[in-house]
Amino acid sequence: MPEFIAKPASLKELWKQLPSLPSSRRYLAGGTDLVTADNAGADHSGCWIDIGDLPELRAVKETASSLFIGSAVKISELERSAPVRKWCPVLSAAIPHFASPSLRNMATLGGNAANASPCADGVCALVAEDASVLLALKDARRRLPLKDLFTGPKRTALKRDELILGFEVPKRPHAGAYFKLGPRARFGISKAAVALAAEISGGRVKRAAVALGSVAPVPLYAARTSAWLAGRELSPETAAEAAELIKSEVSPITDARSEAAYRREMCGVLLSRALESAAA
Amino acid sequence: MRPFALKCKVNGLAIEREIPSSRSLLDFIREDLGLKGTKEGCGEGECGACLVLLDGKAVNSCLMMAVQLHGKELVTIEGLKGRDGGLHALQKTFMEEGAVQCGFCTPGLIIASEALLRRKPDATLEDIKQELTGNLCRCTGYEKVLSAVEKARDNRNA
Repeated sequence: MPEFIAKPASLKELWKQLPSLPSSRRYLAGGTDLVTADNAGADHSGCWIDIGDLPELRAVKETASSLFIGSAVKISELERSAPVRKWCPVLSAAIPHFASPSLRNMATLGGNAANASPCADGVCALVAEDASVLLALKDARRRLPLKDLFTGPKRTALKRDELILGFEVPKRPHAGAYFKLGPRARFGISKAAVALAAEISGGRVKRAAVALGSVAPVPLYAARTSAWLAGRELSPETAAEAAELIKSEVSPITDARSEAAYRREMCGVLLSRALESAAA
Repeated sequence: MRPFALKCKVNGLAIEREIPSSRSLLDFIREDLGLKGTKEGCGEGECGACLVLLDGKAVNSCLMMAVQLHGKELVTIEGLKGRDGGLHALQKTFMEEGAVQCGFCTPGLIIASEALLRRKPDATLEDIKQELTGNLCRCTGYEKVLSAVEKARDNRNA
């Protein structure tokens, strides 16, 4: 356990408190990853800063062109949010696969992104939704395509003390699918996962974005397969070709959860299932 | 350890006390409040033996810190009561259906089921199965648990 947990009441108070806090510090959002790591003896920070109740991070807001999802909104709140269901069909399809119902009452997308696990279901879906991540460090703000936040397993482009404010998803009608292969149908960590966002018109793909979990060092945006799908007819032949292409774009490893060759093969299977469901 | 002035509600009672800021929620419940019905099983959010209701939603208290309770309302298994002040409807049906053997997972299963029935009084068998995906029981094989929750749902809606 850290020596100390700070709980600022607002963003303003957070920036004011920062200089006085112990130097080895981390943000605590829902805690489902951080406290697990700490219980296992794998976190050695001297201070956590509880940002889970910061009002600035707790809202889902709609503008004319985009949907903002605060980084500390609980996954179960997203599950019940009408604008999220409308504008984020990939994320909505992923949520039932995200941990268990009680963990979804605790976990947040901000934590899912900051933890930067290659298997994170929430951020994999958001990458396919073409989300941007909004970051703040005192008065400085910046925005990155979410796919560029991840630099390696459990590594991000976040600067020291930089905070994830939330995510912005463009309001563009599209179909969404999330297919995950785990050790069981629910509440397991994926061996492989495929997220698909697709704008479909007259049986043709106008635009597609494919993201994958657990088959690369980061939640992977499959740029080549996504570009290849644009303009194609939605057919079993297209699905079969896309399934071959995706296998060349992933770089899975063999570990405790699965084997590299199996994972690679399953990426093709899951993508063709996702395309089939988007066509339906 | 720097102290934190915690204000919250536990099982209907307002509580204000200074705690070490890095107290885990589970230790706060079991050691500071002496409420031993909430169990620690795995300590990593897999088994659900530590579930409690936070503002009416089931959460894994083994993965929460007590400061996260600030300004909120906690209900533990001790806080669930029937309308007559006796056993809660789910406690009765768990007993009637034989859904309890060693009993270690039971408080968590009842908390998860209660959260579901509050949110969705007409929950289907499939809803119940989905809701209990985060609760492990190594004795009952779940069938009796599922029938106990269905019976409590039917009794409530009768």
